[in-house]
Amino acid sequence: MSEMGREDLLAVVRTVWEERDPVPPGLVERAQAAAGLAATDAATDAALDLDGELVALMELVERSEELVGARGSATYTLRFVHGETDLLVRIAVDDGRSRIDGWVVPPEPMTVRAGGHEATVTDTGRFELDDLPLGMLRLDLEPHDAHRAPFATPAFEI
Amino acid sequence: MAAKRPAARAAPGARPLADGVWAEATCAFERWTAGDQAGLDELVAVMTPVLWHVVRAYRLPADVAEDVVQTTWLALVRRRTTIADPGAVGGWLTTTARREAWRVAKSAQHAVPVADEVLGARLPAGRSAEAEAVEDDGRRRLWAAVDGLPERCGRLLRVVAFEQRPDYARLAVDLDMPVGSIGPTRARCLAKLRVALVQAGGA
Repeated sequence: MSEMGREDLLAVVRTVWEERDPVPPGLVERAQAAAGLAATDAATDAALDLDGELVALMELVERSEELVGARGSATYTLRFVHGETDLLVRIAVDDGRSRIDGWVVPPEPMTVRAGGHEATVTDTGRFELDDLPLGMLRLDLEPHDAHRAPFATPAFEI
Repeated sequence: MAAKRPAARAAPGARPLADGVWAEATCAFERWTAGDQAGLDELVAVMTPVLWHVVRAYRLPADVAEDVVQTTWLALVRRRTTIADPGAVGGWLTTTARREAWRVAKSAQHAVPVADEVLGARLPAGRSAEAEAVEDDGRRRLWAAVDGLPERCGRLLRVVAFEQRPDYARLAVDLDMPVGSIGPTRARCLAKLRVALVQAGGA
């Protein structure tokens, strides 16, 4: 056998991983949907925001699948962090209807927007959103304190 | 550079990651920044598979890895104006994905054993048993050679194999390796893989 060069060896590594851990079905389409959604939002944001300031994205730090029931019902939680703010979101989908319960820690007056719905964070840090459309969704959080910049979660699927 | 050389002596079934991927990404990015939304779709289609492999090298579960890929795309959309050179978009994406993967793996201790990779390691069926046996044998040897690498080698080579020009300083931090050791380690890992392939007779 002729000696394999660096590129040949790396090509072997690629082939092996492409076969054994292929890109999940639908990942490209979901990523396109998320990017497209964000691009539309970004265009809107840019139009509204003269400074061209970008909304900071929260970081997803935890995700748990609690229960997957019959007839397409599911409940899971996501936890996001941004600076000192911790956001726990519990998503329940049942028969095509969805409900989101959120907890903001520490509690802070904010407006939460998603998919055309709006909610206000209570003194205890809670908020709820009902009947959200299924699909890709992003929560936009706008602190009532004008000195605090708005931020948003990355898009997730419900 | 050596990267431009066709992999003429590659093992059967192995193929180079076309330099075309990076050129296509650049082209799609330019179209998008010029206002064509289809350019973004194309960029996502071209680069998502590369990002998947880079992120999975951090051994995140599939759903978490998918979130990291998505977050990377959101970051691109939000920060596209900071990418002055369209030719750098591929590198920007892989670097961003790697940072995010590293952060998520650290923050939530998501790193898990390779169980789901092993579960996913099934061979497609449906061809003649004989052809399959011959081909599977060759494949199995390649897989075994890659599997036989020390863990750190396996992860490093996976990242290096899918990236265009990895940032070695950052890679060292991500893989908990001393800065400056990536180049020599990569060379050692490649040498180990070469030996393993020769011993397996699969190359």
